Amino acid sequence: MNPKIKPVGLARPRKELVELLRGTVLFSGLSPALIEKVADIAVLERAQKDAVLYRVDDPARDLYVVVAGQVNHAHGPATQARVLTKTMQPGDVFGWAALIKAPARRFATVTMLADTELLRISGAELMQALASDPEAARDVLARCAKMIVEDFTVPAWLAQVQDVPAGKGGSPMVQRQAAAGEIGAWEMFAYRLSKWAKSPTPYLMLVGFVLFFGAWYLLSEVFKVWRFASLPGPKTVLLEWFNPNPTYGMSLYTPDYYVHIWSSIRRVLYAFLISTGLGVPFGLFLGWSKNFREFTFPVFETLRPIPVLAWVPLAIVMFKGQESPVIFLTTLASFYATALNTMLGVQSIDESYPRAAACLGASKWQIFRHIVIPGALPFIFTGLQISVGVAWFSLVAGEMVSGEYGLGYLILASYVNVQYVVIIIGMVSVGVVGYVSSALVRLAGDYMMQWRVRELALGGGR
Amino acid sequence: MSAVLSQASQGNAQGGKGAIRIEHVDKVYEAKSGPVQAVSDCSLDIRAGEICMIVGPSGCGKTTLLNAIAGFHDITGGAIYLDGQMLCGPDRPKADPGPDRVVVFQNGALFPWKTNLENVAFGPVVQGKLSKAQAAEKARGLMADAGLAGVEHNYPGEVSSGMRRRVEIVRALMNDPKVLLLDEPFRALDQLTKSVMHEALLEIYYKNKVTIFFITHDLEEAIFLGHRVAIMTTRPCRPKKILEVDIPHPRDYAVLTSPRFRELMEETVSAVHEEAVKAFEAGEKEM
Repeated sequence: MNPKIKPVGLARPRKELVELLRGTVLFSGLSPALIEKVADIAVLERAQKDAVLYRVDDPARDLYVVVAGQVNHAHGPATQARVLTKTMQPGDVFGWAALIKAPARRFATVTMLADTELLRISGAELMQALASDPEAARDVLARCAKMIVEDFTVPAWLAQVQDVPAGKGGSPMVQRQAAAGEIGAWEMFAYRLSKWAKSPTPYLMLVGFVLFFGAWYLLSEVFKVWRFASLPGPKTVLLEWFNPNPTYGMSLYTPDYYVHIWSSIRRVLYAFLISTGLGVPFGLFLGWSKNFREFTFPVFETLRPIPVLAWVPLAIVMFKGQESPVIFLTTLASFYATALNTMLGVQSIDESYPRAAACLGASKWQIFRHIVIPGALPFIFTGLQISVGVAWFSLVAGEMVSGEYGLGYLILASYVNVQYVVIIIGMVSVGVVGYVSSALVRLAGDYMMQWRVRELALGGGR
Repeated sequence: MSAVLSQASQGNAQGGKGAIRIEHVDKVYEAKSGPVQAVSDCSLDIRAGEICMIVGPSGCGKTTLLNAIAGFHDITGGAIYLDGQMLCGPDRPKADPGPDRVVVFQNGALFPWKTNLENVAFGPVVQGKLSKAQAAEKARGLMADAGLAGVEHNYPGEVSSGMRRRVEIVRALMNDPKVLLLDEPFRALDQLTKSVMHEALLEIYYKNKVTIFFITHDLEEAIFLGHRVAIMTTRPCRPKKILEVDIPHPRDYAVLTSPRFRELMEETVSAVHEEAVKAFEAGEKEM
């Protein structure tokens, strides 16, 4: 027995205690006679400030009602509690674990914040007292269940069964803290990174690359299989790529290489900005206004299947200089992807959202701003990821036709000059830069849609 | 029914907010198979501050009626008044949606991209009635009253469905509406959460005395919550029978086991069953 906690007998009038019990969530449904019975088995105890009543995993025998003072109730990290620490005030009940037969272990640690008076009620005795009146017992247990439901977002039994999938966002504990804003974005990122490093994902990825390069190496350089013999192998490419004095004048050490990469990145950046700037508003209006859709969508759908390459001659005639025709060609396909996905995004919004907003007094413009735009955002970002990918492959097509710099130009020029190694360096460079650019778009999307990231992290949301 | 009991149930409704008068409302809409009469000559008086439960078979046109009151679509005939003011009628077939009649939707319509607090504060902010900070303060207070302290900065997708419902009701009350229009709001909840929600709703109601127009399938829910239960005919929808629930408010779950509750339940079941059979035979698609 904790010396800091001792029974004090009936230092308070019994009537007051009965009144207190009647006022608690748990017992408010009981008949006066039963309340008296509960009061009979209750023991008034006094606990000093800072005394620990019980800790997580202690055996749970008693239920407590705060009579006076203040108590800190802290759930252990293993629970799925909605709020981890609570301050109990007079009239609050805690320690319901004592009413549960099976494990009967404490889920929380309880510490006195001040000198406190508590009513201790033995769980077993309480159940016995209630046995005389099944109706009342049912009421008490239903109220107990209600308390539990209010404490836990997810019922504990469900939480045990359905753990959050690994790699999708971390332990429930970390997620909850992140949700409560206690963990910054950076810590969350670092946590996910360490989680990712521990998961099989990176190793599988590595195996994939090893298999790919291994097959390429064996086919082209070791066995020199028919048709693959003229293909430069990965070893040749790597040696050239990392060669300070490259045979064909193009490697990581030559400034020209970066000029090519940078001109391509710049063009994609312009094209992506233009296609997003035009495509998102256009798509929003397509989805939002039936009239607008009816007079523009057929034209849009007729233009969309025309391949970028078919536009090349017109682009050269219409736009002057080296840059603008390429940017125009790159923009084109991206624009379609962005606009179409944005339109689908608007159409995917549940009808009840704009209705609810109208009910709450939002004007048409406010609905557009607060409902349509954020509601379409998940689709918009899907569109932007497609758009940036499409931009890279139409860019290469554009650069092959016009321009004197850029990775597409480099590939074509190397073909003309029979420098196959450089072709592959150019191709791999497009792949890597393209991958990075769509990863950046995905990151931007996650940043702008925290609500979605959290919903998915919790296992799919609704 | 005894006069005393009836007075008691009406007495609780006193001091309430909006009275809705539905007068000979018709609604015909065009489906692919031709015109469908969803509501026909429907008249119903909902007293200020009462909880009026609307019960009827699936697809009978209850939601059509709610949508007409809310202003989501027009009516073909008749008129609907709120406190004597015409919402929609012969000259203006469609009411304007507004914060005096807020809907809580069947599948929930909290904006998933706004936090719970932003959702609750949304109404007064877009109406320009309160600044963002003022609205947030008021929202925080109302949420705490409804047992929602601690989830203000969570997104709706992160809290339980029962809590989402509570947040949505608080979001409606934030506007001090005259009428709450509830379209089977607890349909998707499990029984335990549902009973918690019933008590929470009644608690909110006792504080606000807002008129509640509540559509449900659940007869127990209807009798437990309602001052009156309007049983609707299958399509076209109109009241078949209006039942006064003469169990005085405030009520708690003990009511469910009272003999009077059983009697009312039986009365409702037989009336509803008839309509359900008709609806089944007509092969109505659930709406």
